[in-house]
Amino acid sequence: MMVARSVKRIWAVFKARNLEYLRDRASFGWNLIFPVLIVLALAVVFSGPPQGIFSITYLGTEEARPALLAFPGIETVETTDESRALDRLARQQTDMVITVTDGAVRYWVNGYSAAGALTEQLLKFSESRPLISGRTEGDGIRYIDWVIPGILGMNMMYSALWGVGYVVVRYRQAGYLKRLKATPLTKFEFLSAQVMSRVMVTLSASTIVFVGTNLLLEYKMVGSVWLLLLIALIGALSMITMGLAIASRTESKEFADGLLNALTFPMLLLSEVWFSLEGSPEWVQWIAMTLPLTHMLDAARAVMLDDAGLWEIAPHLGVLLIFCGVGMAISTRLFKW
Amino acid sequence: MAETAVLTLDHVSKHYDDVLAVNALSFEIIEGQCFGLLGPNGAGKTTTLEMIEGMTPPTSGEIRYRGGPVPANYQDRIGIQFQATALQDFLTPYDNLKLFSAFYDRPLPMQTLIDAFQLQEFLHRDTRRLSGGQRQRLLLALALVHDPEIVFLDEPTTGLDPRSRRDVWEVVRRLKAEGRTLVLTTHYMEEAEVLCDDLIILSHGSIIRHGSPKALLAEAGVDTLDELFLSLTGERLDAAEATA
Ligand SMILES: Nc1ncnc2c1ncn2[C@@H]1O[C@H](COP(=O)(O)OP(=O)(O)O)[C@@H](O)[C@H]1O
Ligand SMILES: [Mg+2]
Repeated sequence: MMVARSVKRIWAVFKARNLEYLRDRASFGWNLIFPVLIVLALAVVFSGPPQGIFSITYLGTEEARPALLAFPGIETVETTDESRALDRLARQQTDMVITVTDGAVRYWVNGYSAAGALTEQLLKFSESRPLISGRTEGDGIRYIDWVIPGILGMNMMYSALWGVGYVVVRYRQAGYLKRLKATPLTKFEFLSAQVMSRVMVTLSASTIVFVGTNLLLEYKMVGSVWLLLLIALIGALSMITMGLAIASRTESKEFADGLLNALTFPMLLLSEVWFSLEGSPEWVQWIAMTLPLTHMLDAARAVMLDDAGLWEIAPHLGVLLIFCGVGMAISTRLFKW
Repeated sequence: MAETAVLTLDHVSKHYDDVLAVNALSFEIIEGQCFGLLGPNGAGKTTTLEMIEGMTPPTSGEIRYRGGPVPANYQDRIGIQFQATALQDFLTPYDNLKLFSAFYDRPLPMQTLIDAFQLQEFLHRDTRRLSGGQRQRLLLALALVHDPEIVFLDEPTTGLDPRSRRDVWEVVRRLKAEGRTLVLTTHYMEEAEVLCDDLIILSHGSIIRHGSPKALLAEAGVDTLDELFLSLTGERLDAAEATA
C-alpha cells in the first residue's frame, strides 16, 4: 500500500517533468539539433582530399636507416614501441611500420590500405637490403569515428548535469520545492522521479542523435548495441546523480551554474571528447581517470571501435557505478526542499 | 455551541540569527472560524503562519493540534497557499491539478475543483500566462485538492485588482461555510474586518491586539482597523505596500 502510493506519486512527478521538457520546444530542439550540427560540421571539415603524404613509423635501430624515409612526401614517426606501432597500423593511423635488423629490412603494411600498398612498392624500389614483410589487417579509424562517441557523451553530460542540477535549483529558488514540501510527496519520491525522467530524456535524445548521424555518415560501430546502451545508461546515471548532489542544497541558480561549469570544464578538456590524451603527462591522465566522462567515453570507444566485450569494459562500468552510488548518497542525505 | 481550539500556540518564538522575527506568541484558533494575522510587511505574519503549517520549526514555544502534539499526517489535513509559489514551467492548470491530486489518497473530483474555482476558461493555458486573479484561483484550488480541514492563506489578495480580490473573499466565505477552519494573513484592514472572526494585530513580531474586529473597534472607539493601528503605533498598515 505504501509502495503503491509512492509509485503513484513518483509517476505523477515523472510525467509532469517529462511534459515540461517536451513542451519546452527551444531546449528540446536544441538537445537534438546541437550534436547533429557538430557532427555534420566535423564531417565537412574532415572530408577534404587526402594530404598526399605517406606516414611511416620507424622502429629505430643501430643499423642504417632505410633510404625511403628520406623521400619527399614521406612523414616519419620514430618509436620503440612495436605493439603500439602495429596497433596504429591496424587503425590506418600510419601507412607502414618499418625496422632494420641483422642487415634485413622488416616491414608491415595494412592489407586494407591503398597507401600501404604504394609505400610497399616505393620500399621495394628504393631498398637494396633483403626485405621481410609482415601484414596487418584492419579498417582505418577516421577522426569522425573516434570523435562521435565524444560528442554524444559530451551532449549527455550537459543534458544530465543541467537537466537535474540546474532545474532543481531553479525550482528551489522559485519556491516550487517549498510548495511540494507542503504535500505528502517525499524527498526520495521527488528525487527518483527527477532521475527517471532525465535518464529517459537523455537516453532517447542520444539514441535519436546516434541513429540519425549514423544514417548520414555511416561511422564505425562494430560492437554490441546493447553494451553501448548499458554504458550510456550507467554513464547518464552517474552524471545525473552528480547533478542532483550539486543541487541538493544550492539556493541560487547563478551559483549552481558556476558549480556545474566547474565540473564540466575539466571533463570537456581532459575526458578525451575532442582529442586523445595519449602522450600527455601522467598526472594529466590521472586527473582524467577521476572524471566519469573519461570512463564513459573509453568504454564507448572500446565497444564502437574495437568490439570490446562486457568484461573488457567492466572496470569502467564499475567506476561509473561508484560515481552513481556516491552521488545518490550525497543527494539523499543533503537534499533540502 | 462549545468552541473547540484546533490549533494552540504557546509562547512561540522564532529567531533568525540575531533577528527576533516572532516574539512569544500565544493564541488559539477555533474550529470553523476564520482567524486573521494582521500587520504591515515584516511584522512576522508569514513566519508565524509557516510555523503553524509545520513548514518551519519554532525556535522556542509549542504548537498543539486539538490539544495534543501535531500528528504525523498533519500535511494531509491542511491546505496551504504560500505568499509566493512558483509552479513548473510549461504546465497548465489541468496538469497541475492532476499532479497535486496524485499526491493524496482521496483527492476531490477534478471537475468539482474546476467549477468551484472557475478554472474552466483557462484550464489548458500555460500557468505563466495567467492573470494575477486566475493564478490565485489555481493556487487556491491546489491547496484544496485533498479536501483539508484547515486552510492557510498567506496574503491571498495582495496585488490583485478589486474584482479579483472580491472573488477571493467569496471563496473564503464559501470555505468557511463548508465548515473549514481558515487562517489568513493580510495587511488590508478592510479585508480582515470583512472576513475574520478573530484576529491578532502583529507589529515587530509581537501581538499588540487580539480579538474580534468588532470588539477591537469598540474598545478603541474608532471606526476602522486602519485607524486603530495608526493610533497604536503611529504607523499606517499599508505604508509598506506603497513602497513595495
Ligand atoms: N529566512 C529568513 N531569514 C532571516 N530573516 C527572515 C527570514 N524570514 C523572515 N525574516 C525576517 O523576519 C521578519 C518577519 O518576516 P515575515 O514573517 O516574512 O513578515 P511578514 O510576512 O509579516 O511580512 C522580517 O524582519 C524578515 O526580514
Ligand atoms: Mg509575508
